Amino acid sequence: ILYENILSSCFSEYAVAWWLYCWQASFRIANGGRCLHTSACCHKVQAGRYRPSPRGDRPLTYEMANPPHYIASRKSWNSWNTTSLEGGLRPADTAIEDIFIRRFMTGTWHSLFVSEVIIKRQHNIIRIAGIVRQAVSARKMYFLIGYCEELLSYWLQCPVKLELQSVAEKEDVVF
Amino acid sequence: MKTASTCLVVHDADMLQVEEKDELYRMLELEAKGHDAAVLKSYEWFVTTAAREFDIKIGKCWALRKPVFNRMTLLKSVHIYKKHRVQYEIRTHYRFMQFHQLTGSTADTFLEYVQRNLPEGIGLKVTRVLARSLPSHLVPPS
Repeated sequence: ILYENILSSCFSEYAVAWWLYCWQASFRIANGGRCLHTSACCHKVQAGRYRPSPRGDRPLTYEMANPPHYIASRKSWNSWNTTSLEGGLRPADTAIEDIFIRRFMTGTWHSLFVSEVIIKRQHNIIRIAGIVRQAVSARKMYFLIGYCEELLSYWLQCPVKLELQSVAEKEDVVF
Repeated sequence: MKTASTCLVVHDADMLQVEEKDELYRMLELEAKGHDAAVLKSYEWFVTTAAREFDIKIGKCWALRKPVFNRMTLLKSVHIYKKHRVQYEIRTHYRFMQFHQLTGSTADTFLEYVQRNLPEGIGLKVTRVLARSLPSHLVPPS
């Protein structure tokens, strides 16, 4: 992107364009059709989007497949609370608690969560939902559920309930 | 050193005969707000069904045609690039329900049931309008 600026100071416009064309052509040959997009700063939006793979076989969940501008129509939110309504209270504290809960859950259930961790707050209770794959035995899962509920309720000082659903393999969640 | 002293509370026999009169509400208004209009619509169905079971007179139930928008235009990049911005908006949908002529105990029971089953992400505001008799020192003109 900056090469244009550097080169244009030394050479003429045509020389710069020719150099860029040759450089891009070399990439095109080497990378099987892909080349760098060199132009002025485009600032395309990249948040929450997954690039489609060449053969179209990348496994994405429904949530990953729909970019964020579909949020109120095809997707819904991951954390449900009243903090961002008009007149909602403690938005920052709730957001930090959500971050902590998500990190705690993904860490405790190590590579077992197949979906996003969904956090719902009703009155005093925090309900945590999600889809987990059945890589550990049911006994261990029950222990982990009790452990998470106990520790999180001590940390957040309110009742915490886990409502998890399990799935046999990761492929069952692919959209 | 303090010694614990127990005191006996004796209820007067006359007190038990005095009936606690139930308060009367002329109108009860529920204002529900949330980010999802579909959730609000289903919550309204739930509340009106419960009111019908309680034999409560249901008044006007309406929603604002459009939600209330809170829009923010922020810089897209962390450093410089003032010409490139990104816009976010937060939508709050509203739903209003009115109920008429309730007694205090009915209102308390109904509201407790409705509030216990409030979905996550929905905020509820309750406005009660009491019906009271005129005070004795105010006499209408003869």
